[in-house]
Amino acid sequence: MACRQLIVLVALAAAACSRPATTARPTPDTVATSLPDWSGIWVPDIGDQIGQMKGNPVPWTSAAAVEAQRLTEAEAAGHPKGLFANCLPEAMPSWMLVSHNALEILFTPGRVTMLGESDGNRLRRIYTDGRPHPPDPDPSFHGHSIGHWEGDTLVVDTIGVFPQTYIAISEAVGVPNNGDMHIVERIHLAGSDVLLDELAITAPHVLTKTWNTTRRFMRQTGANPDILEGVCLQGSFAEQTDAGGDAVFVPVPHTDEGNPVPPPTP
Amino acid sequence: MKRILAVIALVAATVAGARAHHSSAMYDQDKTVTMRGVITQVRWTSPHVNFSVLTDPARGQTGMAWVLEATSPGNLQRSGWTRTSLKVGDRVSVVVAPLRDGTHGGWCRGVTLIESGKKLEC
Repeated sequence: MACRQLIVLVALAAAACSRPATTARPTPDTVATSLPDWSGIWVPDIGDQIGQMKGNPVPWTSAAAVEAQRLTEAEAAGHPKGLFANCLPEAMPSWMLVSHNALEILFTPGRVTMLGESDGNRLRRIYTDGRPHPPDPDPSFHGHSIGHWEGDTLVVDTIGVFPQTYIAISEAVGVPNNGDMHIVERIHLAGSDVLLDELAITAPHVLTKTWNTTRRFMRQTGANPDILEGVCLQGSFAEQTDAGGDAVFVPVPHTDEGNPVPPPTP
Repeated sequence: MKRILAVIALVAATVAGARAHHSSAMYDQDKTVTMRGVITQVRWTSPHVNFSVLTDPARGQTGMAWVLEATSPGNLQRSGWTRTSLKVGDRVSVVVAPLRDGTHGGWCRGVTLIESGKKLEC
Protein backbone atom coordinates (compact mmCIF):
# COMPACT_ATOMS: atom_id res chain seq x y z
CA MET A 1 0.00 0.00 0.00
CA ALA A 2 2.81 2.34 0.93
CA CYS A 3 4.50 1.65 -2.41
CA ARG A 4 1.20 2.28 -4.19
CA GLN A 5 0.71 5.60 -2.43
CA LEU A 6 4.28 6.52 -3.30
CA ILE A 7 3.57 5.78 -6.94
CA VAL A 8 0.51 8.01 -6.80
CA LEU A 9 2.44 10.77 -5.08
CA VAL A 10 5.22 10.57 -7.62
CA ALA A 11 2.71 10.69 -10.42
CA LEU A 12 0.91 13.64 -8.87
CA ALA A 13 4.17 15.45 -8.30
CA ALA A 14 5.23 14.81 -11.87
CA ALA A 15 1.90 16.05 -13.11
CA ALA A 16 2.11 19.15 -10.94
CA CYS A 17 5.64 19.95 -12.14
CA SER A 18 4.74 19.55 -15.77
CA ARG A 19 1.43 21.35 -15.57
CA PRO A 20 1.20 24.45 -17.68
CA ALA A 21 -0.17 27.68 -16.28
CA THR A 22 -3.40 27.12 -18.16
CA THR A 23 -4.51 23.62 -18.87
CA ALA A 24 -4.83 23.17 -22.59
CA ARG A 25 -5.04 19.41 -22.52
CA PRO A 26 -5.50 16.76 -19.88
CA THR A 27 -2.43 15.70 -17.98
CA PRO A 28 -2.33 12.13 -16.73
CA ASP A 29 -2.75 12.50 -13.00
CA THR A 30 -2.33 8.98 -11.81
CA VAL A 31 -0.81 5.67 -12.69
CA ALA A 32 -3.76 3.84 -14.19
CA THR A 33 -3.10 0.67 -12.28
CA SER A 34 -3.14 2.53 -8.98
CA LEU A 35 -6.75 3.58 -9.23
CA PRO A 36 -9.38 1.59 -7.36
CA ASP A 37 -11.70 -0.78 -9.20
CA TRP A 38 -14.95 1.12 -9.70
CA SER A 39 -15.85 -0.79 -12.84
CA GLY A 40 -19.33 -2.02 -13.54
CA ILE A 41 -22.77 -0.62 -12.92
CA TRP A 42 -23.79 1.01 -9.65
CA VAL A 43 -27.38 1.24 -8.44
CA PRO A 44 -28.40 3.51 -5.57
CA ASP A 45 -29.38 1.83 -2.31
CA ILE A 46 -32.95 3.12 -1.93
CA GLY A 47 -33.21 1.85 1.64
CA ASP A 48 -30.13 3.88 2.50
CA GLN A 49 -31.70 6.95 0.90
CA ILE A 50 -34.81 6.55 3.03
CA GLY A 51 -32.74 5.91 6.14
CA GLN A 52 -30.74 9.08 5.56
CA MET A 53 -33.93 11.03 4.86
CA LYS A 54 -35.43 9.93 8.18
CA GLY A 55 -32.33 9.82 10.34
CA ASN A 56 -30.21 12.70 9.11
CA PRO A 57 -32.48 15.71 8.71
CA VAL A 58 -31.50 18.56 6.44
CA PRO A 59 -30.58 21.73 8.41
CA TRP A 60 -33.09 23.82 6.51
CA THR A 61 -33.52 27.49 7.21
CA SER A 62 -36.90 28.26 8.72
CA ALA A 63 -38.35 29.30 5.37
CA ALA A 64 -37.00 26.22 3.59
CA ALA A 65 -38.24 24.00 6.40
CA VAL A 66 -41.78 25.31 5.92
CA GLU A 67 -41.64 24.45 2.22
CA ALA A 68 -40.12 21.00 2.86
CA GLN A 69 -42.81 20.26 5.44
CA ARG A 70 -45.55 21.36 3.07
CA LEU A 71 -44.25 19.04 0.37
CA THR A 72 -43.79 16.19 2.86
CA GLU A 73 -47.40 16.50 3.95
CA ALA A 74 -48.60 16.67 0.36
CA GLU A 75 -46.72 13.49 -0.50
CA ALA A 76 -48.04 11.75 2.61
CA ALA A 77 -51.54 12.71 1.53
CA GLY A 78 -51.01 11.12 -1.86
CA HIS A 79 -50.51 14.33 -3.81
CA PRO A 80 -46.75 14.41 -4.44
CA LYS A 81 -45.16 17.32 -6.22
CA GLY A 82 -43.25 16.00 -9.17
CA LEU A 83 -39.92 17.74 -8.62
CA PHE A 84 -38.48 16.15 -11.73
CA ALA A 85 -41.67 15.67 -13.72
CA ASN A 86 -40.54 18.29 -16.23
CA CYS A 87 -37.70 15.97 -17.27
CA LEU A 88 -34.99 18.51 -16.53
CA PRO A 89 -32.01 16.76 -14.93
CA GLU A 90 -32.22 15.80 -11.29
CA ALA A 91 -28.90 17.64 -11.28
CA MET A 92 -26.52 18.17 -8.39
CA PRO A 93 -26.83 17.27 -5.64
CA SER A 94 -30.12 15.42 -6.15
CA TRP A 95 -28.70 12.94 -8.66
CA MET A 96 -26.49 11.66 -5.88
CA LEU A 97 -29.20 11.98 -3.20
CA VAL A 98 -32.47 10.59 -4.55
CA SER A 99 -31.97 8.93 -7.93
CA HIS A 100 -33.38 5.45 -8.45
CA ASN A 101 -31.34 4.92 -11.58
CA ALA A 102 -28.00 3.29 -12.29
CA LEU A 103 -24.69 4.98 -13.05
CA GLU A 104 -21.25 4.02 -14.25
CA ILE A 105 -17.90 5.72 -13.68
CA LEU A 106 -15.13 6.02 -16.24
CA PHE A 107 -11.48 6.87 -15.55
CA THR A 108 -9.46 8.56 -18.27
CA PRO A 109 -6.29 10.62 -17.93
CA GLY A 110 -7.16 13.87 -16.22
CA ARG A 111 -10.83 13.12 -15.75
CA VAL A 112 -13.42 11.01 -14.01
CA THR A 113 -16.77 10.80 -15.78
CA MET A 114 -20.05 9.71 -14.28
CA LEU A 115 -22.71 8.53 -16.68
CA GLY A 116 -26.27 7.93 -15.57
CA GLU A 117 -29.30 6.21 -16.95
CA SER A 118 -31.98 8.88 -17.01
CA ASP A 119 -32.65 12.53 -17.79
CA GLY A 120 -31.54 12.00 -21.37
CA ASN A 121 -28.44 10.30 -20.01
CA ARG A 122 -26.84 12.06 -17.09
CA LEU A 123 -23.26 13.22 -17.14
CA ARG A 124 -20.79 14.62 -14.63
CA ARG A 125 -17.31 15.61 -15.77
CA ILE A 126 -14.88 15.74 -12.84
CA TYR A 127 -11.53 17.20 -13.86
CA THR A 128 -8.59 15.59 -12.06
CA ASP A 129 -5.85 17.24 -14.10
CA GLY A 130 -5.10 19.87 -11.49
CA ARG A 131 -7.02 22.75 -13.00
CA PRO A 132 -8.79 25.18 -10.66
CA HIS A 133 -12.40 26.20 -10.91
CA PRO A 134 -12.94 29.05 -13.36
CA PRO A 135 -13.46 32.33 -11.53
CA ASP A 136 -17.01 32.71 -12.82
CA PRO A 137 -18.24 29.37 -14.12
CA ASP A 138 -21.24 29.24 -16.39
CA PRO A 139 -24.10 27.86 -14.30
CA SER A 140 -25.05 24.32 -15.19
CA PHE A 141 -27.14 21.49 -13.86
CA HIS A 142 -24.17 19.52 -12.59
CA GLY A 143 -21.85 22.42 -11.91
CA HIS A 144 -18.10 22.65 -12.40
CA SER A 145 -16.30 19.81 -10.67
CA ILE A 146 -12.63 19.36 -9.93
CA GLY A 147 -11.24 16.36 -8.13
CA HIS A 148 -8.14 14.74 -6.77
CA TRP A 149 -7.25 11.38 -5.33
CA GLU A 150 -6.37 10.90 -1.68
CA GLY A 151 -5.32 7.27 -1.72
CA ASP A 152 -8.36 5.37 -2.98
CA THR A 153 -10.74 8.23 -2.24
CA LEU A 154 -11.84 10.65 -4.94
CA VAL A 155 -12.38 14.10 -3.48
CA VAL A 156 -14.69 16.22 -5.64
CA ASP A 157 -15.35 19.92 -5.29
CA THR A 158 -18.35 21.33 -7.15
CA ILE A 159 -19.56 24.89 -7.67
CA GLY A 160 -21.46 26.69 -10.40
CA VAL A 161 -24.73 24.81 -10.07
CA PHE A 162 -27.95 26.48 -11.19
CA PRO A 163 -29.74 28.04 -8.18
CA GLN A 164 -32.90 26.31 -9.37
CA THR A 165 -31.63 22.77 -8.79
CA TYR A 166 -33.19 21.03 -5.82
CA ILE A 167 -31.66 19.82 -2.64
CA ALA A 168 -34.06 16.90 -2.57
CA ILE A 169 -34.74 14.22 -0.02
CA SER A 170 -37.19 12.38 -2.27
CA GLU A 171 -38.66 12.76 -5.75
CA ALA A 172 -41.43 14.84 -4.17
CA VAL A 173 -39.69 16.80 -1.40
CA GLY A 174 -36.93 19.28 -2.06
CA VAL A 175 -36.08 22.97 -2.03
CA PRO A 176 -34.13 24.91 -4.68
CA ASN A 177 -30.58 25.58 -3.52
CA ASN A 178 -31.05 29.27 -4.41
CA GLY A 179 -27.42 29.88 -5.34
CA ASP A 180 -23.87 29.95 -3.96
CA MET A 181 -23.99 26.21 -3.32
CA HIS A 182 -20.73 24.38 -2.74
CA ILE A 183 -20.53 20.60 -2.60
CA VAL A 184 -17.56 18.53 -1.46
CA GLU A 185 -17.72 14.78 -1.91
CA ARG A 186 -15.42 12.01 -0.76
CA ILE A 187 -16.17 8.94 -2.85
CA HIS A 188 -14.64 5.59 -2.04
CA LEU A 189 -15.34 1.89 -1.81
CA ALA A 190 -16.87 0.73 1.47
CA GLY A 191 -16.73 -2.93 0.55
CA SER A 192 -15.92 -4.77 -2.63
CA ASP A 193 -19.28 -3.92 -4.19
CA VAL A 194 -20.33 -0.85 -2.22
CA LEU A 195 -19.45 2.69 -3.25
CA LEU A 196 -19.94 5.35 -0.61
CA ASP A 197 -20.41 9.03 -1.41
CA GLU A 198 -19.84 11.30 1.59
CA LEU A 199 -21.37 14.66 0.75
CA ALA A 200 -20.90 18.00 2.46
CA ILE A 201 -23.45 20.40 1.01
CA THR A 202 -23.19 24.09 1.78
CA ALA A 203 -26.08 26.23 0.54
CA PRO A 204 -26.22 29.42 2.60
CA HIS A 205 -29.59 30.58 1.29
CA VAL A 206 -31.51 27.48 2.37
CA LEU A 207 -29.31 25.67 4.91
CA THR A 208 -28.26 26.95 8.32
CA LYS A 209 -25.04 24.94 8.20
CA THR A 210 -23.26 22.46 5.97
CA TRP A 211 -25.32 19.30 5.60
CA ASN A 212 -23.18 16.20 5.87
CA THR A 213 -24.84 13.11 4.47
CA THR A 214 -23.89 9.89 2.74
CA ARG A 215 -25.28 7.72 -0.01
CA ARG A 216 -24.49 4.13 -0.95
CA PHE A 217 -24.37 2.64 -4.42
CA MET A 218 -24.32 -1.11 -4.98
CA ARG A 219 -22.30 -2.78 -7.76
CA GLN A 220 -24.53 -4.95 -9.93
CA THR A 221 -23.30 -8.50 -10.22
CA GLY A 222 -26.36 -10.20 -11.72
CA ALA A 223 -27.30 -10.85 -15.32
CA ASN A 224 -27.94 -7.99 -17.73
CA PRO A 225 -26.54 -5.21 -15.55
CA ASP A 226 -25.77 -2.86 -18.43
CA ILE A 227 -27.07 0.67 -18.46
CA LEU A 228 -29.78 1.33 -21.02
CA GLU A 229 -30.30 4.55 -22.86
CA GLY A 230 -32.68 6.55 -20.70
CA VAL A 231 -34.26 9.60 -22.29
CA CYS A 232 -36.76 11.09 -19.89
CA LEU A 233 -38.76 12.88 -22.57
CA GLN A 234 -39.23 9.66 -24.50
CA GLY A 235 -42.27 8.97 -22.38
CA SER A 236 -43.89 12.18 -23.61
CA PHE A 237 -44.04 10.88 -27.15
CA ALA A 238 -45.79 8.00 -28.81
CA GLU A 239 -44.21 5.97 -31.60
CA GLN A 240 -46.48 6.23 -34.61
CA THR A 241 -46.48 6.20 -38.39
CA ASP A 242 -47.52 9.35 -40.20
CA ALA A 243 -49.71 9.67 -43.29
CA GLY A 244 -46.64 9.41 -45.52
CA GLY A 245 -45.58 6.15 -43.98
CA ASP A 246 -42.68 7.58 -41.99
CA ALA A 247 -42.00 6.39 -38.46
CA VAL A 248 -42.38 9.44 -36.21
CA PHE A 249 -42.56 10.46 -32.57
CA VAL A 250 -45.82 12.24 -31.79
CA PRO A 251 -46.34 14.36 -28.67
CA VAL A 252 -49.07 13.14 -26.42
CA PRO A 253 -50.88 14.98 -23.64
CA HIS A 254 -49.77 14.55 -20.06
CA THR A 255 -50.40 16.05 -16.66
CA ASP A 256 -48.28 18.90 -15.34
CA GLU A 257 -47.23 16.69 -12.44
CA GLY A 258 -46.06 13.94 -14.75
CA ASN A 259 -48.38 11.46 -13.13
CA PRO A 260 -50.23 8.82 -15.08
CA VAL A 261 -53.76 9.71 -16.02
CA PRO A 262 -56.00 6.79 -15.29
CA PRO A 263 -58.61 5.66 -17.78
CA PRO A 264 -62.09 7.05 -17.36
CA THR A 265 -64.29 4.93 -15.20
CA PRO A 266 -67.10 3.51 -17.36
CA MET B 1 -67.11 -3.52 -28.27
CA LYS B 2 -66.68 -0.17 -29.99
CA ARG B 3 -67.05 1.50 -26.61
CA ILE B 4 -64.33 -0.66 -25.09
CA LEU B 5 -61.98 0.07 -27.97
CA ALA B 6 -62.72 3.78 -27.63
CA VAL B 7 -61.87 3.63 -23.94
CA ILE B 8 -58.62 1.81 -24.65
CA ALA B 9 -57.69 4.33 -27.34
CA LEU B 10 -58.40 7.22 -24.97
CA VAL B 11 -56.34 5.59 -22.26
CA ALA B 12 -53.44 5.07 -24.63
CA ALA B 13 -53.58 8.68 -25.73
CA THR B 14 -53.81 10.21 -22.29
CA VAL B 15 -51.31 8.21 -20.31
CA ALA B 16 -48.60 7.85 -22.88
CA GLY B 17 -47.12 11.20 -22.01
CA ALA B 18 -47.30 10.94 -18.27
CA ARG B 19 -43.95 9.32 -17.93
CA ALA B 20 -41.73 11.80 -16.19
CA HIS B 21 -40.04 10.39 -13.16
CA HIS B 22 -41.98 11.10 -10.03
CA SER B 23 -42.89 9.93 -6.59
CA SER B 24 -45.17 6.92 -6.40
CA ALA B 25 -47.07 8.42 -3.47
CA MET B 26 -50.23 8.77 -5.53
CA TYR B 27 -50.48 4.98 -5.28
CA ASP B 28 -51.73 3.43 -2.06
CA GLN B 29 -48.89 1.11 -1.14
CA ASP B 30 -50.94 -0.32 1.74
CA LYS B 31 -53.50 -1.78 -0.65
CA THR B 32 -53.26 -4.41 -3.33
CA VAL B 33 -55.56 -5.15 -6.22
CA THR B 34 -55.22 -8.35 -8.19
CA MET B 35 -56.66 -8.45 -11.68
CA ARG B 36 -56.79 -10.90 -14.56
CA GLY B 37 -57.05 -9.78 -18.13
CA VAL B 38 -55.29 -9.23 -21.40
CA ILE B 39 -52.44 -6.87 -22.23
CA THR B 40 -53.64 -4.18 -24.66
CA GLN B 41 -50.57 -1.94 -24.80
CA VAL B 42 -46.93 -2.04 -23.69
CA ARG B 43 -44.73 1.05 -23.62
CA TRP B 44 -41.11 0.08 -22.86
CA THR B 45 -40.09 3.64 -22.33
CA SER B 46 -38.06 5.84 -20.01
CA PRO B 47 -38.35 6.89 -17.33
CA HIS B 48 -41.17 4.46 -16.45
CA VAL B 49 -42.45 1.44 -18.30
CA ASN B 50 -46.22 1.29 -18.51
CA PHE B 51 -48.70 -1.17 -19.84
CA SER B 52 -52.45 -1.43 -20.14
CA VAL B 53 -54.69 -4.30 -19.14
CA LEU B 54 -58.31 -4.92 -20.11
CA THR B 55 -59.69 -6.94 -17.24
CA ASP B 56 -61.89 -9.95 -17.68
CA PRO B 57 -65.55 -8.93 -17.54
CA ALA B 58 -67.19 -9.51 -14.21
CA ARG B 59 -70.68 -10.94 -14.12
CA GLY B 60 -72.99 -8.56 -15.93
CA GLN B 61 -70.26 -6.01 -16.56
CA THR B 62 -67.77 -5.17 -19.25
CA GLY B 63 -64.04 -5.41 -18.70
CA MET B 64 -62.18 -2.45 -17.25
CA ALA B 65 -59.18 -0.72 -18.81
CA TRP B 66 -56.33 -0.20 -16.34
CA VAL B 67 -53.02 1.54 -16.90
CA LEU B 68 -50.19 0.19 -14.81
CA GLU B 69 -46.81 1.73 -14.22
CA ALA B 70 -43.48 0.18 -13.30
CA THR B 71 -39.89 1.30 -12.82
CA SER B 72 -37.46 2.17 -15.61
CA PRO B 73 -36.49 -0.16 -18.46
CA GLY B 74 -32.97 -0.42 -17.02
CA ASN B 75 -34.14 -1.36 -13.55
CA LEU B 76 -36.60 -3.90 -14.99
CA GLN B 77 -33.90 -5.39 -17.20
CA ARG B 78 -31.65 -5.86 -14.19
CA SER B 79 -34.47 -7.77 -12.48
CA GLY B 80 -34.93 -10.12 -15.41
CA TRP B 81 -37.29 -8.40 -17.83
CA THR B 82 -36.77 -7.71 -21.51
CA ARG B 83 -38.76 -5.33 -23.67
CA THR B 84 -40.72 -8.32 -24.97
CA SER B 85 -41.51 -9.91 -21.61
CA LEU B 86 -45.05 -8.59 -21.98
CA LYS B 87 -46.75 -8.51 -25.35
CA VAL B 88 -50.10 -7.28 -26.54
CA GLY B 89 -52.55 -10.16 -26.29
CA ASP B 90 -50.83 -11.88 -23.36
CA ARG B 91 -53.20 -13.06 -20.67
CA VAL B 92 -51.91 -12.00 -17.28
CA SER B 93 -52.62 -11.82 -13.61
CA VAL B 94 -51.28 -8.60 -12.13
CA VAL B 95 -50.91 -7.40 -8.56
CA VAL B 96 -50.89 -3.62 -8.21
CA ALA B 97 -50.92 -0.85 -5.63
CA PRO B 98 -53.94 1.15 -6.85
CA LEU B 99 -54.27 4.88 -7.23
CA ARG B 100 -55.55 6.46 -4.05
CA ASP B 101 -58.41 8.21 -5.83
CA GLY B 102 -59.96 4.96 -6.98
CA THR B 103 -59.47 5.44 -10.69
CA HIS B 104 -58.04 2.66 -12.77
CA GLY B 105 -54.34 3.15 -12.48
CA GLY B 106 -51.79 1.35 -10.39
CA TRP B 107 -48.17 0.68 -9.60
CA CYS B 108 -47.21 -2.79 -10.76
CA ARG B 109 -45.89 -5.13 -8.09
CA GLY B 110 -45.84 -8.36 -10.05
CA VAL B 111 -47.11 -10.00 -13.21
CA THR B 112 -47.83 -13.65 -13.90
CA LEU B 113 -48.15 -14.78 -17.49
CA ILE B 114 -51.10 -17.15 -17.27
CA GLU B 115 -50.17 -19.36 -20.22
CA SER B 116 -46.59 -20.08 -19.12
CA GLY B 117 -46.83 -19.41 -15.42
CA LYS B 118 -43.79 -17.15 -15.67
CA LYS B 119 -43.62 -14.57 -12.90
CA LEU B 120 -42.12 -11.10 -13.31
CA GLU B 121 -41.39 -8.77 -10.41
CA CYS B 122 -42.03 -5.12 -11.10
